[in-house]
Amino acid sequence: MSRPQPLVAVLYRVPLLCEALSSVLDDIAHVQAFPARRGDPVGLLRSIRPDAVVVDDRDEAESARRWAKRHHVALVHVAVREQTIDILRNGCWEQRPGATVESLRNALAESLFGRGDEAR
Amino acid sequence: MAKTTTLWQKGVGGRGGYKLSRTRILIADPLTIFRAAVVHVLVRESDLEVVEAANFDEVAAQVGSACPAIALIDLELPPNGGVEAVSLLSRLCSTRMIVWSFAPTRESVLAAVRAGADGYLHKEISPAGLVRSLRGVANGEAALSRDLATLMIDAIHSLEQRDRTRERMSVLSLREREILDHVATGARNRQIAVALTISEFTVKRHMQNILRKLEVPTRRAAADFYRTAQAELLESAV
Repeated sequence: MSRPQPLVAVLYRVPLLCEALSSVLDDIAHVQAFPARRGDPVGLLRSIRPDAVVVDDRDEAESARRWAKRHHVALVHVAVREQTIDILRNGCWEQRPGATVESLRNALAESLFGRGDEAR
Repeated sequence: MAKTTTLWQKGVGGRGGYKLSRTRILIADPLTIFRAAVVHVLVRESDLEVVEAANFDEVAAQVGSACPAIALIDLELPPNGGVEAVSLLSRLCSTRMIVWSFAPTRESVLAAVRAGADGYLHKEISPAGLVRSLRGVANGEAALSRDLATLMIDAIHSLEQRDRTRERMSVLSLREREILDHVATGARNRQIAVALTISEFTVKRHMQNILRKLEVPTRRAAADFYRTAQAELLESAV
């Protein structure tokens, strides 16, 4: 039996972000999208227990931060308009320029499949 | 002319054959995530073909090869904004155009529509909504959500109000405007007479003419109108 694909939860304000992510994560992860700003993002994450979380809303990203750190789950904040990606590393945000779909895929792949646990 | 590409043809001379035409859609957006997303959404639609541009020069290059049937243009397209691309496409093609942005304002919606856009969308639109809007525009409909239609109507009302104000201001002479300028600051006739080195009687005559021309009952109403007019004209200059 093949191993199930990791689950990437996308909390979005921009629905098209999910489309962009689906286009590059098709083969490596299962993407599940949820509208942001509907309250209690931590409760949602606790329920679905994703392997990685992508958020395009700064406030939601901050809300998810503590949970992601505690559960060693990869968390990526995409600032769509500013074209930057923030990756949670050891509880702190590390910013990377250029929010392309490829850089997003690479950041998630690194977090999901990278060797060692420093990516989380 | 807008281009529809023949995608697939079977048979010769049309007998027993069929063909599928693809509508060419230009996505002009500097954000690669949006271009990738739109391509991903539209690739499922077998009758749509997508070409991309990240800036104005790339739009011009695309138009140079063939006009798209539909263009989806980012308001902040580098280097000078999407309205420039809308104007270019309006001049050279019969492309149906939609501008989109993160935070539409009544000014940006109006500017895009005045330049020739057939619609305006919020970038937080759903994939299904986007496809619906593109298809609607292709069928000659305007792509405008309810909230943006409201912004648009507000903008038109604001323009009409501004025109009416300009018209009312234009009936005043230069001297009457000078006097109204003082009245708006709360100056009394005697103070105005001193400031303009004219008699108080002349100021009174001017005030009577101002009230008659503006069709307002009081000095205070005239001052209110003048302040509003100044604010509106300043806003339009910005």
